[in-house]
Amino acid sequence: MKKAYDIIIVGGGIVGCSIAFEMAKRGHSNILLIERGYLSGGATGRCGAGIRQQWGSVLNATLAVESTHIFENLEEYTGYKGNCGLNQAGYLLIACTEKEWDQFQKNLEVQHQLGVDSYPVDLEKDVYKYVPFINTDGIYGATFCQKDGHADPFHCTFAYAYGARQLGVDILTYTEVLSLKAEGGKIKGVSTTKGDFEAPMVINCANAWAPGLAAQVGDEIPVFPERHQALVTEPVAPMGPNGPMPMVMSFHRKFYVQQSPHGSFIMGIAETEPVSFNIRSSWQFLEECCGVICDTLPALRGLRVVRQWAGLYDMSPDRNPIIEFSKNAEGLITICGFSGHGFMVAPRTAILVAKHLCNEQDDLDIKRFSADRYRTGELLLEPSVV
Amino acid sequence: MRIEEHPILDFDRGEKITFFYNGQEVEGYTNETIVAALHAAGVRKLGASPELHRPRGLFCAIGNCSSCFMTVDDEPNVRVCVVKCKQGMRVEEQNGRGVVRV
Repeated sequence: MKKAYDIIIVGGGIVGCSIAFEMAKRGHSNILLIERGYLSGGATGRCGAGIRQQWGSVLNATLAVESTHIFENLEEYTGYKGNCGLNQAGYLLIACTEKEWDQFQKNLEVQHQLGVDSYPVDLEKDVYKYVPFINTDGIYGATFCQKDGHADPFHCTFAYAYGARQLGVDILTYTEVLSLKAEGGKIKGVSTTKGDFEAPMVINCANAWAPGLAAQVGDEIPVFPERHQALVTEPVAPMGPNGPMPMVMSFHRKFYVQQSPHGSFIMGIAETEPVSFNIRSSWQFLEECCGVICDTLPALRGLRVVRQWAGLYDMSPDRNPIIEFSKNAEGLITICGFSGHGFMVAPRTAILVAKHLCNEQDDLDIKRFSADRYRTGELLLEPSVV
Repeated sequence: MRIEEHPILDFDRGEKITFFYNGQEVEGYTNETIVAALHAAGVRKLGASPELHRPRGLFCAIGNCSSCFMTVDDEPNVRVCVVKCKQGMRVEEQNGRGVVRV
């Protein structure tokens, strides 16, 4: 195995793998990607894998819309022979207060500017066409977008990894990066459980562990880990109007639930969590999640839960990603802080990073994602996150 | 067929009842599982697999596997190997995934 590369990427989730692919596609394939466990074994493989274009800020909606276009053809895009499992059953977003509903109207305007086919749904007549058994008590309004949906987070990551490998990227799994090596204000490489590797550029995509790594060269990335749990039920026949039930999501009640093409329901809620790397499952989640979701969707009451798990959100202060070019060690780039919506924006974020590194023009300004925004106050505010 | 006498085990079958299997009347006993009654009535195929729709029958018989899923009184995915018979219950074969009645 080679000991020196042009670029080392730390982290084999969707972010690391997509950046490896996008760089290799642009002719920079002398890359080593290092993953502590197996590809997609961290937050990516544990996530709900929703793909939503119904965002409230232009920035997030743009990232999500352009990422969705890539997800729609990811197999062809990467040459992957498997099936990435994209299922565009739609997202039904429900508003539970008048204030939230007003916000949804503003969000729709933003979405329509970007060509997203989202629209309000009549609660009296039409909502049953999307979710036939929804309990509309306490629901103020709802919006729907058919092109939203979800994909298989494992296959999507494998697709990017496959494409990257075909173009010459080396991927090293079950290898932990122990430390970063920097000298004279420049990054020199990494030290791992399988020896040292040199590179003049290191891209740190280690999710909640990224700030710890960046701190080794003195970078302060204000991102902290937060446990989020999810569960999956036994599979049953499709419960949507033309197939699996669409994603139903509420910011106010803080839940999401979707039916996979396989028939099982995947659901989660946002709980108040301490800052911690804890990823154990709790019975409190099981009880609370099932309660909240069965209130809105009573038909799911009889389903058996077959599995529950947890993963880490990498929370940033404004709940949006940070792309930080190190000032202490030139050549180190830290990409983290996706705050629970990294999967759905990863394809476009990877293009943003790759275009910047290859000096290509991009409509989005990568500098907006710098952690400097917490000092200058130019936050990336998003009204619609769970 | 039922074992009537056994050197070690006693059978307390309980009360004799009837229930419906795919609309057809079948005899069973209140202390017997649904599948025991079906087996005694000669039913071997309990359902069909979700993907290839191949026949599924009794496999583990202790409520662990998913082979004997049937719809009982509109409740899908009932493990009939561990659920006892009740008078008048409607037991139906599932062709693949169970359907949740809304």
